[in-house]
Amino acid sequence: MWANLALRLFRHEMRRGELNIILAAIVLSVAAVLSLSLFSARLQSALNDKTAEFIAGDRQLSSRQVIDPAWLQKARELELNIAEQISTQSMLFANGDLVLADIRAVDSAYPLKGSVKISEQAFSAGREVTELPPENQVWMDARLFQLLNIEPGAEVEIGDGTFIASRVLSDIPDRGFAVFGNDQLVLMRLEDIAKTGVTGPGARLSYRYFFTGRDADLDAFYQWLRPQLNRELHRWRSVKDDESAIGNAVQTAERYFLLAIMLAVVLAAVSIAVAAQRYSQRHFDPVAIMKTLGASKRLIQKVYVLQILFVTMLGIVLGCVLGFVLQHGVVMLVSDRVPVSLDTWYWQPVGIAVLTGFICALLFSLYPLMQLFGIPPLRVLRRDIEGSGTKRLVQYVAAGGAIFALMWLYSGNLQISGILFLTGALLVIALFAVSVGLIHIGRLLGSGNIGAWQLAWARIQRRAMNNSVQLISFSVTLLLLLVVLALRNDMIKQWREQLPQGTPNYFLANITATQLPVLKQQFTDFTVNAGEIYPLIRGRLTEIAGEKVQSAVTKENEQPAEARRPGLGREANLTWASNVQAGNKVVAGTFFGDDVGDYPEVSVEQKIAERLRITMGDILTFDIGGQTLQAKVTSLREVNWQTMQPNFFFVLQPAAMQDFPATYITSFHLDGERKQALASLLAPLSSVTLIDVDARINQLRQIIDQVSLAVEFILVLVLSAGSLVLIAQVQASMDERRQELAILRTLGARGGLIRWSVVLEFLIIGLVAGLMAALAHEIALYFLQTEVFNMSASWHFEYWLIAPLVGAAVVGVLGAVSCWQLLRINTGQLLRNML
Amino acid sequence: MIECKSVNKIVTTTEGQLQILRDINLKVEDGQTLAIVGASGSGKSTLLSLLAGLDEVSSGEIILNGQPLHALDEEQRALMRGANVGFVFQSFMLVQSLSALENVMLSAQLAGVDDAKGRAEAILEQVGLGHRAKHYPNQLSGGEQQRVAIARAFITRPKILFADEPTGNLDATNGELVEQLLFNLNAESGTTLILVTHDSVLAGKCQRQVIMHAGELTESTSPSEQQRHVG
Ligand SMILES: Nc1ncnc2c1ncn2[C@@H]1O[C@H](COP(=O)(O)OP(=O)(O)O)[C@@H](O)[C@H]1O
Ligand SMILES: [Mg+2]
Repeated sequence: MWANLALRLFRHEMRRGELNIILAAIVLSVAAVLSLSLFSARLQSALNDKTAEFIAGDRQLSSRQVIDPAWLQKARELELNIAEQISTQSMLFANGDLVLADIRAVDSAYPLKGSVKISEQAFSAGREVTELPPENQVWMDARLFQLLNIEPGAEVEIGDGTFIASRVLSDIPDRGFAVFGNDQLVLMRLEDIAKTGVTGPGARLSYRYFFTGRDADLDAFYQWLRPQLNRELHRWRSVKDDESAIGNAVQTAERYFLLAIMLAVVLAAVSIAVAAQRYSQRHFDPVAIMKTLGASKRLIQKVYVLQILFVTMLGIVLGCVLGFVLQHGVVMLVSDRVPVSLDTWYWQPVGIAVLTGFICALLFSLYPLMQLFGIPPLRVLRRDIEGSGTKRLVQYVAAGGAIFALMWLYSGNLQISGILFLTGALLVIALFAVSVGLIHIGRLLGSGNIGAWQLAWARIQRRAMNNSVQLISFSVTLLLLLVVLALRNDMIKQWREQLPQGTPNYFLANITATQLPVLKQQFTDFTVNAGEIYPLIRGRLTEIAGEKVQSAVTKENEQPAEARRPGLGREANLTWASNVQAGNKVVAGTFFGDDVGDYPEVSVEQKIAERLRITMGDILTFDIGGQTLQAKVTSLREVNWQTMQPNFFFVLQPAAMQDFPATYITSFHLDGERKQALASLLAPLSSVTLIDVDARINQLRQIIDQVSLAVEFILVLVLSAGSLVLIAQVQASMDERRQELAILRTLGARGGLIRWSVVLEFLIIGLVAGLMAALAHEIALYFLQTEVFNMSASWHFEYWLIAPLVGAAVVGVLGAVSCWQLLRINTGQLLRNML
Repeated sequence: MIECKSVNKIVTTTEGQLQILRDINLKVEDGQTLAIVGASGSGKSTLLSLLAGLDEVSSGEIILNGQPLHALDEEQRALMRGANVGFVFQSFMLVQSLSALENVMLSAQLAGVDDAKGRAEAILEQVGLGHRAKHYPNQLSGGEQQRVAIARAFITRPKILFADEPTGNLDATNGELVEQLLFNLNAESGTTLILVTHDSVLAGKCQRQVIMHAGELTESTSPSEQQRHVG
């Protein structure tokens, strides 16, 4: 019987449009969540693919020794694709010239991601190839041809083997961004490396294994492998823990998407709560009447819960359709700039969207419904009864808990959800305080006149008391929008700052002191924009505060490795300077001056100091080509690793370094079209190594553009979700307004007064909401940026002005537009609807 | 003076056209008290809203204080109402966001009355609610709300007061209180009172009664009947 009643009620109310707002809110939430998460899943996979190119696979394992064949066997069992690379340093010999080079021998599966680029001529643009050097041939960097003074096709000797240097190697995917310490590259087949004889006992070889496959399989492999890895020997890299600028940008973007989805869910929840509140209030009378007629509370519960279920299901279906269409549209729009594929279907976002619809609809309509169920039949006689208000606190706690749970569920990140939730809660509390303040101001109202201004304030007051949800949800909506907007701006700005126009795209290393004047002259002659010149000395960190550290070359007969402190594991790049390098910040101690005390002074990078447990005042011992240098730590520096600049772990006092032979490194920018000029620019500089990161920088820039674009679309989606919530909220307050307008009309108030009072009311609400949102957003953003996004915190004073103005304008216009209809209805009609 | 000439009201509904009022002719002199009685749904409220210029006639003509209403636009009618007309409704119709005092003041200000506050306080005192001036409608009982509504109606010293079943929502005691107020204030200020009611006793207190039946108006001709009511 009750099901029948519920169905009839449902049909009736669908026809009358009573449930439209709840339905719209559910559709909106499901659509927003689905489109956002579907789009972000697609985009993330596209971006992951891109970043995977930088490590030539989805995962990479580097090792200092040959790995256990069982490891590869396991990878094969998991159906992963595997590629292998062995690298070593070796001398190249041709025409009587000798050059040190970085030899990379790869198997035929290499590279699993990205591609090898070659060119026919030295210093010209490369093209992608799918094949590898044939047997007995090598491909090498343009600079090697120049240094050895040979043309493609000539012979070179590498160790015991002789090879044809057949092509100019432009790029390999995993070349890396290393700014110094790199030698020019030589690429050969894995089988050929044995011919060089450099692989014999005592040779220092590095091994790299590349893997691709399904995410789950890759993760399973790593789970299996992890316990067997040795930190000193092995390094596991995935696209996700890529600490380069790209990895960082992608990670930040992912967090951003997550945040955006979370906020969309919160917005949806708020709009459902608002709509449900309105729905419930409209049903006070019918329920009171049903109760008067003898309906039990149980019956009413069943009827309304079933009703909400109908609506929820309908909303979910419609929302899924809309969400799908939306994300499809967005993907189509961006497809020419971001290679997002529509082929794969992701079930998870659909699941999340459906779940969101259910959770939101049920949790957030629960309290208003409970209020509805609790309506005493007496309401029939006393219209002012609105159910018991004692459960209100329970509702707020429950709704708050539900929102927090939702946020946590989606982000899987307690921190992000905590930050947002707490600032949101603070905002709500602050708004209550403001509401109380408004009521106090309102007390003064009686002494003045009653014009548009007073009417507006009076309504706000009343709402602040009885319907504070509206002001608060305006603010929360604005807050969330501000956070998303400001974060996007800061994020994109910081990304762009990493790669400003004229970012150095070439690095030079191994410059001798005598070559410096020549180099400077060349830079002037070729009008090249050169970066700073840094001296560089390779040294091994052997002791920290008198304790020996582990090193990769620890001999068997020395102390067992475990007994030592952790070391750097490789040679350190030491430099000296009399000033702090641009982009570095001293965070402890003071950067040294010219005076030398007992020990020369050294400034250490903060993170490495932490890792090696170096503290201020420690004496560090370096072994520089057999000579010992001791220096005292007098400052710690924070270094921005995101910039494409040489950065140093250790910076020494210049006086200490005068006796050691240094080489120099520098960087410069050369436009793509001028690449050919490199040959003559470098001609007089024998032995100088050229590191070409031009292609890399372009790729980086492209990725950042794509991510920025995606972020912008997400922003637009969230903004539209937010505006729809605002509309829903304004709509929800229409009933109350309708009555007031009718009365004012009847009493002879002029249209102008009424319109003004309505517009003013919304302007004030928007202004207050905007201001509160700006303040709260500053706090939220501070924590988000410092704790979650690893960005530097920034103030946004401009929003303190913009937010209230925009809030006032948007809410004012929304309110005016919504009320215009009401204002146009004939007064008689308006009254009749209420009598 | 109010004059109604062959007024018809036809509304369009989903089920077609509905004639609510049929050829209404009515003339009410200044200071007169008139009761409109009739079954529920007969068209009393509709007539009232036409007389007050809240709605427009389908045909015919209404002249209020010498002004033909159809010649005025919605804005002008609002101005006219503010200056000349007072209302009391069955469901009180107070502005929920304003206190009792403010509700009364609002009306005074719309009509351009000086010292709105002082007069509002005085008139609230008069209806016995001086001590509840700062209370909001939802803090007042039905009888109290209706008294506020009456204070609101009279503060402008309207030429005409329309009351649509003013006691319909009230218990006997409160109903009587409100009734007394209505007639006392009417007597004091010489207002024309047009009262819609079910209550024959209340109707009988008016100088004249008309009966609405299915959209048609007939004068209650029998003075004896009138006498009976009053008696
Ligand atoms: N705008 C309208 N649309 C449809 N029906 C209306 C409209 N206005 C009034 N009615 C109908 O006209 C009749 C008279 O209404 P009303 O004047 O309120 O009666 P009363 O006040 O005498 O009870 C009722 O049946 C009502 O439903
Ligand atoms: Mg009526």
